[in-house]
Amino acid sequence: MRPAKIHILTARRLLVLVSTAILLSSCAWFPSVKEQPYKLALSWGEKGSDPGQFNDPTGIAVSADEMFVSDARNGRIQVFDFNGRFIRQIGKPGEGADELGRPMNLAIVNDELYVADYWNDRIQVYALDGAHRRSIGASGSGPGEFNAPVGVAAGPNGDLYVADFYNQRVQHLRRDGKFVRQWGMTGKTGFRAGQFNYPTDVALDNGGRLYVADGYNDRVQVFEQNGDFSHKWGGPFAMNISGPFIAWFATATSIAVGPQGNIFVADFYNDRVQKFTPGGAFLTVFGIRPGGPAHTAIAVAVSAEGAVFVANFDLHRVEKWVAD
Amino acid sequence: MKAIPLLLTSAVLLWSGMTVAAGTQYDLRVDGLACPFCAYGIEKKLKKTRGVTSVEIDLERGVVVVKAGEGAKLNEARLKQLVKDAGFTLRSMTEKPLP
Repeated sequence: MRPAKIHILTARRLLVLVSTAILLSSCAWFPSVKEQPYKLALSWGEKGSDPGQFNDPTGIAVSADEMFVSDARNGRIQVFDFNGRFIRQIGKPGEGADELGRPMNLAIVNDELYVADYWNDRIQVYALDGAHRRSIGASGSGPGEFNAPVGVAAGPNGDLYVADFYNQRVQHLRRDGKFVRQWGMTGKTGFRAGQFNYPTDVALDNGGRLYVADGYNDRVQVFEQNGDFSHKWGGPFAMNISGPFIAWFATATSIAVGPQGNIFVADFYNDRVQKFTPGGAFLTVFGIRPGGPAHTAIAVAVSAEGAVFVANFDLHRVEKWVAD
Repeated sequence: MKAIPLLLTSAVLLWSGMTVAAGTQYDLRVDGLACPFCAYGIEKKLKKTRGVTSVEIDLERGVVVVKAGEGAKLNEARLKQLVKDAGFTLRSMTEKPLP
């Protein structure tokens, strides 16, 4: 009799333990909003090819006082002030040395603009005034080569980190394009830590940690400065489970580090930007529902003052969001 | 009398010129075109394909419209592989001669 009683007690304890674990996990998977959502302060642009118009805005970056937008189908970068006034254009469509195919996510470091050029399989580097400085990479799957680069980050020493979309990897390169290391298996998707499923963007924080928008794995992955995997988040177990709930993703297409070190992620198919702590704790969410079959929030950048700039793919416009 | 053969020759040349100018339009039904990260991949791969003269994404219909010049016949197996390489699945395909 005694062993049976012990067995029942153990089963009850196990049930309570499992229920508690599920409850705690549920809380982690369905967090509540910790900050007020941002409000839309300004928007500009429409479909077209004139200055101030866009045909597929797909990337965005900010300097101290200007904002840069990838205007993908127009093969150019447009530069605006923070109130949406057009200032100048960088690049023109083509395959020439200083030209752009389909510019995607952007980065600005040390007064240089880094452009992930999807069609020409290279990173284009420009001075902020538009002068072409250099091109890095070529088509392929070898070290330092790209198959549709879509996101780029640069360290203070000029080292590059590139989301290499169809090669299913993130590459770390020297300023001159020399290969250092890579995360992910070339050409192979995976959902385990350190593997990718169409990575779309990268960002570095002040401590040199690398944040990767792991697009079709619907998650963020973080790597320490020495390259070690740190942590990941996005839906249950952060392993390719998409959904519309907060802190879940449905294709993360852009990632940015804010002035306080918080992380902003464009959650494209959910038409929103989500804000997290560097550890992945959810803070708030904001965005606009689409009017058509396309989706809205595709790229995000944050100014030093904390204004959040969003490329709205559906409406071919740029939005400025501010804390309420 | 010389005018009749000349006229006939001109008509034949004009007709053959029109034929040469024509080609084929392929409508590829593909899911998930709303995301440009992959949609651009289809465009990129198709535009590098010999004989393809234009590629357009029709988001409303969820269709990739491919136009190929005369004599540049694209077979379904090849298109299916191209679409697969771009990360999509080809659901169906129709083709029609261009006017």
